[in-house]
Amino acid sequence: MVKHIIPNSLSEALDYMSKDEYKIVSGGTDLMVQKRAWAETPPKFDQNTIYIFNLMDLKYIKKENNKIIIGANYPVEKIKDFKSTPILLKKAIEIMASPALRNLATIAGNIGNASPAGDTLPILYVHDALVKIVSKNNSRIVPINEVILSVRKTCINKDEMIKEIIIPILEFTKTSFVKVGGRKADAISKTSFTGAVNVKDGIVKDIRIAFGAVNVTVVRKKEIENKYKGLSVLELQSRINEILNDYEPFIKPITDQRSNKDYRKQVSLNLLKEFINNL
Amino acid sequence: MKSVNKTIPSIDGKGLMMGRPAFTDDLAEKNSLIVKVLRSPHPFAKILNIDKSKALELEGVELILTHEDFKRNSYTRAGQGYPEPSPHDKFVLDEYVRHIGDEVCCVAAVTKEICEEALELIKVEYEVLNPILNFEDAIDNKSIIHDEPEAHEMFPIGFEPKRNIAASYKMEVGNTEEDVKKSDVVIKQSFYTQAQAHVMMEPHTVNARIDYLNRLVLYSATQTPIHVRRILSQTLEFPLSRIRVIKPRVGGGFGGKQALHGEMLVSAVTLRTGKPSKMVFTRKEVFESSYSRHPMRFDITLGASKDGMLETIDCYVLSDTGAYGEHALTVFMVAGSKVLPLYNKVKSVRFHGHVAYTNHTPAGAFRGYGAIQGNFALESAIDMLVDKLGMDPIEFRDKNMIKQGETSPIFAIMGEGTEGTAMNMESCELEFCLNRGYELINWKNTYPYIQVSKNIRRSVGMAIAMQGSGIPYIDMGSATIKLNDDGFYNLMVGATDIGQGSDTILAQIAAETLGCDTSQIIVYSSDSDLTPFDTGAYASSTTYISGNAVYKAALKMRQMIVREAALAFKVDESIIEYDGTTIKADDKEMTINELSNRLYYNEDQKQLTSTESYVGTKSPPPFMAGYVMIDLDTETGEVKIVDYVSVVDCGTTINPSLAKGQVEGGIVQGIGMAIYEEVLYNSSGKLVTNNLLNYKIPTRKEINKLTTEFAKSYEDSGPYGAKSVGEIGIDTPPAAIANAIYNAVGVRITSLPITPEKILLEMKKREGEKR
Ligand SMILES: Cc1cc2nc3c(=O)[nH]c(=O)nc-3n(C[C@H](O)[C@H](O)[C@H](O)COP(=O)(O)OP(=O)(O)OC[C@H]3O[C@@H](n4cnc5c(N)ncnc54)[C@H](O)[C@@H]3O)c2cc1C
Repeated sequence: MVKHIIPNSLSEALDYMSKDEYKIVSGGTDLMVQKRAWAETPPKFDQNTIYIFNLMDLKYIKKENNKIIIGANYPVEKIKDFKSTPILLKKAIEIMASPALRNLATIAGNIGNASPAGDTLPILYVHDALVKIVSKNNSRIVPINEVILSVRKTCINKDEMIKEIIIPILEFTKTSFVKVGGRKADAISKTSFTGAVNVKDGIVKDIRIAFGAVNVTVVRKKEIENKYKGLSVLELQSRINEILNDYEPFIKPITDQRSNKDYRKQVSLNLLKEFINNL
Repeated sequence: MKSVNKTIPSIDGKGLMMGRPAFTDDLAEKNSLIVKVLRSPHPFAKILNIDKSKALELEGVELILTHEDFKRNSYTRAGQGYPEPSPHDKFVLDEYVRHIGDEVCCVAAVTKEICEEALELIKVEYEVLNPILNFEDAIDNKSIIHDEPEAHEMFPIGFEPKRNIAASYKMEVGNTEEDVKKSDVVIKQSFYTQAQAHVMMEPHTVNARIDYLNRLVLYSATQTPIHVRRILSQTLEFPLSRIRVIKPRVGGGFGGKQALHGEMLVSAVTLRTGKPSKMVFTRKEVFESSYSRHPMRFDITLGASKDGMLETIDCYVLSDTGAYGEHALTVFMVAGSKVLPLYNKVKSVRFHGHVAYTNHTPAGAFRGYGAIQGNFALESAIDMLVDKLGMDPIEFRDKNMIKQGETSPIFAIMGEGTEGTAMNMESCELEFCLNRGYELINWKNTYPYIQVSKNIRRSVGMAIAMQGSGIPYIDMGSATIKLNDDGFYNLMVGATDIGQGSDTILAQIAAETLGCDTSQIIVYSSDSDLTPFDTGAYASSTTYISGNAVYKAALKMRQMIVREAALAFKVDESIIEYDGTTIKADDKEMTINELSNRLYYNEDQKQLTSTESYVGTKSPPPFMAGYVMIDLDTETGEVKIVDYVSVVDCGTTINPSLAKGQVEGGIVQGIGMAIYEEVLYNSSGKLVTNNLLNYKIPTRKEINKLTTEFAKSYEDSGPYGAKSVGEIGIDTPPAAIANAIYNAVGVRITSLPITPEKILLEMKKREGEKR
């Protein structure tokens, strides 16, 4: 018999997890679909399951020292409505799934699911977000790009769970998030582009670029970004072909039922070009 | 007019919104056995053995039915009149499975969970056969999908099962090959359309019980209750007189519920066990195991003179009917018969082709019924021709299209599976539609495109379309009106309201004729025991055919009322004045309430009922012009529909708001087929797009603006001037959008759906060619 646990507190949850292996259900918008059986019958869980969706000690959002701290089961729709939430994250959430799902879905679940097409992930990468992971006797803070290892693989151990996501508030003069999906709601990204720059007196102080759904994890390349920091906007734009060439090798999409690799690659580069040319 | 051409809310809208039990599954017996089907994992296989012993041991499993439990009576699920124009190539259960999702056997158990467990315990041995997964390889393939001796056609439809041909047809007026040679400008192009899914919100649902008279009573979410009853009786060899089929409220059909789906198995379970049973398809079953639109290839050749006269159309069609031949011939014929007459000034026209069997989910009836496929091909090809001629698309159509009072030889030659019926266009406002749409979309200032921003091109495209109104000399509708005490009426119709609002408009037609308020008409539709005959909700027939029957029945009821009033007043009928509420003669006056109470309680006692039927002698086409404005993103190839303008001639709109709902619903479904709804099979014949996340119908967010107008038009043969409006809306979007894309970026996409992937690929090729 598999166990289904609805704990009353985070510590109770971690206690259970220290003894047995559990699958965590936050909003359940990934898991319920993955475990779906027949219509109108409950999903089939073949392993112990722990439901954290009503843990009040994980349901919060706050702004602290220039950071947004988001509890693991705080639904994305409410994150979007929080006034200090970075604009890029708001944009990504706006076109994620559909309203009913957004009231359940969480960023922790988006991370835990570790899909290359997770729409909040490129935003977390661009902000150098940190993830606080806790277990019964331990707690660690890990940068997002080290949490997600590959498709559906994370560094989170069996006895651990995400407690909160920490997003630094950064200064950008221009940002862009473009999701290319099959339609405007309930569509998983074919590809997505995230760009953010901080331009002062015509000089690019900071530039951050991320691509979703075109490799096993989100593509963000700090080496490439560093290469172009300190240039003027015009210089940057004049080197557009070089920029495209720099990113090209890292854009390695696949062909699946949503799209094909040639389209994904071409569109990703088109969006990058578009972003730079419009600075 | 008091009740007709008035917007009133659907008579069932409020009750449904309040959640009153009304749909099929609401009305299942609470203790129904649950029926589930074990479905084939192979696209083509012979069943060698079904071991059901383990499953039968499970507590709560009542019955498992396999092909061995049924007599080999071949039939068609198509849900058409008798004899059907579809081959009888299906058995309730068969020892062959012909597509992934086909029926292997069925389990009846006390709960869903036990059913599911039992399905897993059934062990089936298959001999896997070579499937045909590409319809272009089907004809004369080594694999024969219907090799069984029982499969047969009911009358000649070109059925050649040994060649995997379900139906074929050929007709020609003039000599197209000669005329092509003589034409100044010629276009030759192939077009492909996909197996669109209906995606009605309510899945296929049916339940059964044996009543106290020992009769089989079914509630079914069907478009054709009368056909369902007949086909059940013929196939299960159970007396027709002992079957009752009731169609309650239905949550959408779009043609998908014209056919029988769960009815056979549920009836068989209830007949064998004596217990009530029910079946509700899962969404996956709706996708894989009901049916889809027929995918088609069109090879079109057009020839025109230099001055822009279309001289000849040659059209070969290869249609894919999947594993079974439901609607194989008729959908394919409509791809010609309800498209080609649009250009009636040609010297010659040829339409021919084959419908092939494959090991895909079968295809069947679907709103548009071939016309949408044909429209995409022809109206795309016309724009290609116009481009080659260097003409304006509107001017070309205005010059070549069918107009008021004209006819086309095709009407007489091509019917649905049989010969057609000659007719003149007594009502045809296509010219108005063309001109009004041109204004509404702002064609003049947009065509071919304007650059809105660096990567956004805004363009316009258009197409014209026609449909029919019922099938002449075949589709019959009837209506019974009963006057009740206190002066209100029951209207009993066989016509099948499946959410489109036909009960409402039929009540409006009755009220208009009787002069009363619509609220005085209580409609009861589609109960095979209680309501009179009707072929069902298909072929755009309800308003025109059933509407005419209601009109006639109401007229007769009115005469009966007048006759009774004359008797009561002891005057001659000719001096009676009746406005629907008050009856007057000289100085005498009586209300309809008084008259009916008198008739039922006091004097001259008798029940007034009138029954009339109607069968069409022609099928007046509704027409429309569809104009689309799109924003095409040249970076991503994505197309945004900015506005879709529909100008429709459907004669009088009995209920303008419901008519608009029909048109706009059709437009959105057509937009879905045009650019969103991709159908993907993997290499082993499994449908990948078998859920609503993978199969993308447009959501509210994809639809920005719909502009819908109706031409002033009056069809003399229709009830209060009405023609049909249920299908016409779906026809134009594929061609109009394809044409708009061409106008924006100069690439011609010839296969549906038109995805951003295809657009960008073609744009890239074109760039390459330019360099
Ligand atoms: C119709 C539909 C449309 C969708 N559209 C989009 C879309 O547009 N964009 C997009 O990005 N996603 C989309 N999704 C996927 C899904 O909604 C998101 O990935 C969402 O963020 C998952 O959050 P959740 O809380 O529901 O996760 P759950 O389903 O609860 O969990 C997902 C995974 O994360 C793990 N997990 C959950 N919480 C924790 C935790 N605290 N610590 C460790 N592991 C944890 C779970 O064990 C599981 O493996 C869609 C899903 C559906 C059904």
